[in-house]
Amino acid sequence: MIRIAAVGDVHLDADVLGRFRPALEELPDCADVLLLAGDLTRHGTEAEARCVAQEFGGLGVPVVTVLGNHDHQCDQVPQVVKVLEDAGITVLEGTGTVLECPGGRLGVAGVKGFGGGFAGRCASDFGEPEMKSFVRTSNESAAALGEALRGLDCDLLVALTHYAPVPDTLAGEPLEIYPFLGSYQLGQAIDSAPTALALHGHAHAGTERGVTPGGVRVRNVAHPVIKQAYSVFHLGDQID
Amino acid sequence: MTEHSAGPPDEYVEAAIQRLLTEDPDVAEQGITVARRERGLVLTGEVESPQRRAEILRRVAERFPDEAITSDIGVIRAQAPAQVEELP
Repeated sequence: MIRIAAVGDVHLDADVLGRFRPALEELPDCADVLLLAGDLTRHGTEAEARCVAQEFGGLGVPVVTVLGNHDHQCDQVPQVVKVLEDAGITVLEGTGTVLECPGGRLGVAGVKGFGGGFAGRCASDFGEPEMKSFVRTSNESAAALGEALRGLDCDLLVALTHYAPVPDTLAGEPLEIYPFLGSYQLGQAIDSAPTALALHGHAHAGTERGVTPGGVRVRNVAHPVIKQAYSVFHLGDQID
Repeated sequence: MTEHSAGPPDEYVEAAIQRLLTEDPDVAEQGITVARRERGLVLTGEVESPQRRAEILRRVAERFPDEAITSDIGVIRAQAPAQVEELP
């Protein structure tokens, strides 16, 4: 069995420092890894990233993350990534990593993702350059996730995104903003590999559980949704 | 075009508040909802600290001094989970 802790949308800044730490200190007893589903910061500044590094660094379990849209706000992504990586946090963007856990090899492929909407009600690669750029960003992000997922050699495969891969976990959000919360292309990428679980954030008013058209379980772990420091999932009972 | 001496139509005010909540760097929240009730606007949602909740109310009141605004914004709990989810 592999034990996965996950949370997204913690939006750290100096005013939040220390709030998560008591719960995080318990992580080594209850999880093999912590996955962060993006929006680690409020504005994506280097200073806020240092708060993330302080709160989520040195936990005694590996920490793997993707960035979210908030982490891009101040155009300091390289600095943010460096601060996180210097703290031992693995940052995924169209890439993957394999972790040796007591219960087997856990593969995690991650990407921020993007909006675009869901099957039959989505934006198309057509018309103005701005619209084509929007949709192509979604397509390229999903393609990178699919390639990363299919490239991992592991016992249990997990997809980590910020944007949602299915509409199920958006229930509670206004229908009108679904195209800004995720895209079906992410779900399609997740279904292109033997993925066991897909984790995402971004949808603060959404719900926890969903499933892709291909049958992969999806969990929205945005902090306002789970209302606890992190959720823990047990998977892979069948791993020898 | 109809002129309103009492100010802009309610929908435009609500849209402006919704955008302020995200675009004002001192707020930067995308999870707060603005709803008009009988006695004014109600802000709902959850944030990460009491300071952020106070700042939201301060900024909205400062920008829209003529609006009656009440808050039902909570601070998200951050305790360790009491249960795990088994995914066989």
